[in-house]
Amino acid sequence: MRFLSLASQHRVVIILGLTLIISALVVPGYFSASTLGLGLDRAATIGLIAIGLTVLLIAGQIDLSGGAVFALAGIISVILQREIGILPAAIVGILVGTVAGAINGALVVGLKVNSLVLTLATMLIFRSLAHWITNSQPVSGTDIMLSLALAKTYLDIFTIRSALFIVLIVLLHVWLTRTIPGRNVFAVGSNPAAAKESGIASDRIVFFGFVFAGTLAGLAGVLQSLVTNTGSPVFGSELTVAVIAAVVVGGTRLEGGRGSALGTLGGVLTIGSLTIAMEFQSVPAYVQQVVSGLILILLVVLDRAVTTKGRASGTRPALISDNPITQGGTT
Amino acid sequence: MSDAAMEISVNPDRFTRGSKLVDALSKAGLAFAILAVVLYGSVVSPAFFTSGNLLNVLTSMSIVGIVVVGMTFVLVVGGLADLSVPATIACGAILSLGLQPMIGPLPAFVLAVGLAGLIGLLNGVLVGYVGINPIIATLGIGTIGLGIVQAAVGGVIVYGSNPASAEFAKGRLFGIPVVVLIFLVIALIGHFVLSRSFWGRWTLATGGNYSAAEASAVPVQAVKAGAFVITALTAGISGGLLGLTLQSARPLIGAGYEFSAITAVVVGGVSIIGGFGSVPRAIAGLIFVQLLTNVMVLDGVRTPIQGFVLGILIVGAVGMDAALRKRGVA
Repeated sequence: MRFLSLASQHRVVIILGLTLIISALVVPGYFSASTLGLGLDRAATIGLIAIGLTVLLIAGQIDLSGGAVFALAGIISVILQREIGILPAAIVGILVGTVAGAINGALVVGLKVNSLVLTLATMLIFRSLAHWITNSQPVSGTDIMLSLALAKTYLDIFTIRSALFIVLIVLLHVWLTRTIPGRNVFAVGSNPAAAKESGIASDRIVFFGFVFAGTLAGLAGVLQSLVTNTGSPVFGSELTVAVIAAVVVGGTRLEGGRGSALGTLGGVLTIGSLTIAMEFQSVPAYVQQVVSGLILILLVVLDRAVTTKGRASGTRPALISDNPITQGGTT
Repeated sequence: MSDAAMEISVNPDRFTRGSKLVDALSKAGLAFAILAVVLYGSVVSPAFFTSGNLLNVLTSMSIVGIVVVGMTFVLVVGGLADLSVPATIACGAILSLGLQPMIGPLPAFVLAVGLAGLIGLLNGVLVGYVGINPIIATLGIGTIGLGIVQAAVGGVIVYGSNPASAEFAKGRLFGIPVVVLIFLVIALIGHFVLSRSFWGRWTLATGGNYSAAEASAVPVQAVKAGAFVITALTAGISGGLLGLTLQSARPLIGAGYEFSAITAVVVGGVSIIGGFGSVPRAIAGLIFVQLLTNVMVLDGVRTPIQGFVLGILIVGAVGMDAALRKRGVA
C-alpha cells in the first residue's frame, strides 16, 4: 500500500515519462522541436481551462461548463470584431467568460446546490446561447493574418498561447503555495466548516474560484477563435473529459483540499503529448476519446483506493501533510 | 464536492422535514403548470390541440419517458445523475440495427439492451462499490462506451435491414402506438418496483439516509449500483426503439437525452440529493417539459432556445428543491 500511495503521489512524473517514451517509440521524430511545439500549443487550450479547474477542485467544487464557455467566449470575440475592432472584441470575449463564471459562482453559493449539477445546467444554457447567437453556424473573423501571427512559434517551441499557459501556471504555483489566499483555498476544500470557523470567507473563495475558472475558459476560447479565425458553437464539447482527466492525472483530488499547479502542468503535458501522438498515428477521434475516458476512470479509481485505505486505518492526512509545498516538491 | 452519501449522513432528519409542504406545492404547482401550457398552446397555435400533434408529442415523449423511469431511480438513490445515457442509447440503437442481418431483429434488440446494461453495470460498480462521484464516473464510462460503439461500426451511420421490425415499432395496437404502450408498461413496472417492492423501499432508504440504511442491513452498494443498471437498461430499450423507428442510427443519436431525462425528473420534484421521489412525479415533469417544448416548436422558437429553457428549468427546479428542503448540498 505504501508503494501504491508513493506511486500515486509521483504518478504525474511516471505517467508523463511513460507517455513520452511510448510516443517516441511509435512516432518517428517525436522529439523534434516542431512536434513538441505543436503538442505544447495544443496542450495550452486544455491547460488554460485546467488552471481554473485546478483552483476550483482544490476548493472542493467543479465546473463542467468550461467547454461551453470556451465556445461562447470565442464566438463573441469573433462576432464583435467588425463592430469594435479585434482587441476590444477579444477583451469582451474574455469578460463573457468572467460573467459566465460569476453566474456559476453566484448560483452555487446563493442556492447552495451541488456544483456538479448546477454547472451541468449552466453548461446547457451557455451552449444553447452559443447556438442561438450563431444560428448553429460557424462564424469567421475579419483578419486572417492575425491567426498566422498568433500561430507563429518563438524559440522553435513557444507560441503566444503556450507561453501564456506556462507563465500562468507558474504564477498559479506561486499563488497557491506562497500566499495566504492560496492556502485558504486548500483549507476551504479540505474542510469547509473548519475553514469557516477559522474566519475564512469560504463563500467568497468559492465564488471567486468560479469567476477565475470562467475567465480562463473564456481566455482559452478567445485565443482558440483568434488562432483559427473562427467561432463555432460546437467548439470545446470534447474538452470537458480531457480537462478533468488532465487535472486528475496531475494529482488534484475530486474530493477537494488537494492538488498542485505543477501537477496540473504535468497532467496537461501528458494529455497533450498523447493527443499529438495519436493524431500522428491517425487514430480516429472516438478512439482518442476512449483513451482519455480510460485515463480519467483509472486514476479516479486509484485515488479512491488510496484514500479509502488511508481513512480506514485512521491515518487521514492532516491539512499540513496536504501541504502544497511538499506536493509541489514531489512533482 | 463530497460524496452525496456523506452529505446525507450529517442530516439525519432530512427525510421528513418540510416534505408535506413540498408535496402540496410541487403537486399543485406542476398540475397548474401543465394546464397553463395546454391553455397557452391551444390559444396560440391551432395545430396544438389536434390529435395528430398530441399523438406526436406522446410518441416522442415515450422514447424519453422510458429513460426517465430509469433516471428516477438514479436520483432517488442519491446518485445525482447518469451522464452515460447518450452512450447507452447509441449502444441500443446502433447494435439493434447493426446486428439484425446476423442474428435477426429480436435477438439483436435483446443483445443491444443487454450490452447497454453492461455499461450500466460498470457505472454501478464504480459508483456503488468503489465510491466514485456518479457524474465523473458516468461521464468517463459514457465517453468510453460511446467510443467503443463508434469504433465497432467504424464511426458511420447504421441502417435497418428488417422492414418487419420497423413496421412493428412504428405500428399501433388498439389505435395506440406500440412505443407508447411499451413506455406505459415500463412506467407501470418502474412505479410498482419503486413504490411497492422491497427494492423500492431499499432505494428510498439508501437515498434518504445512507448510513441508517446500511445499519439496517440494506445492501446499499448493490442498490446504488442497481439504479445505474436500471437506467442503462431503460436507455438501451429506448435507443433500440428509436433505432427501429428511424431505421437509422448515428453515433450521436442519444445526445441530449440525458438532459431531457434529468430535466423531467427534477422538474417533477424528485430531489436531486435522493431519498424522495416517484415515477408518476417524474412523468408529470416529463409531460410538462414535453408540452412546453412542443408549444415552443409550434410557436417557431428555434431549437437552441429550447436547450436554454431546459437549462433554466433545471436550475430553477434544483434551486427550489434546495430552498424548500432548507438543506444545502455543498
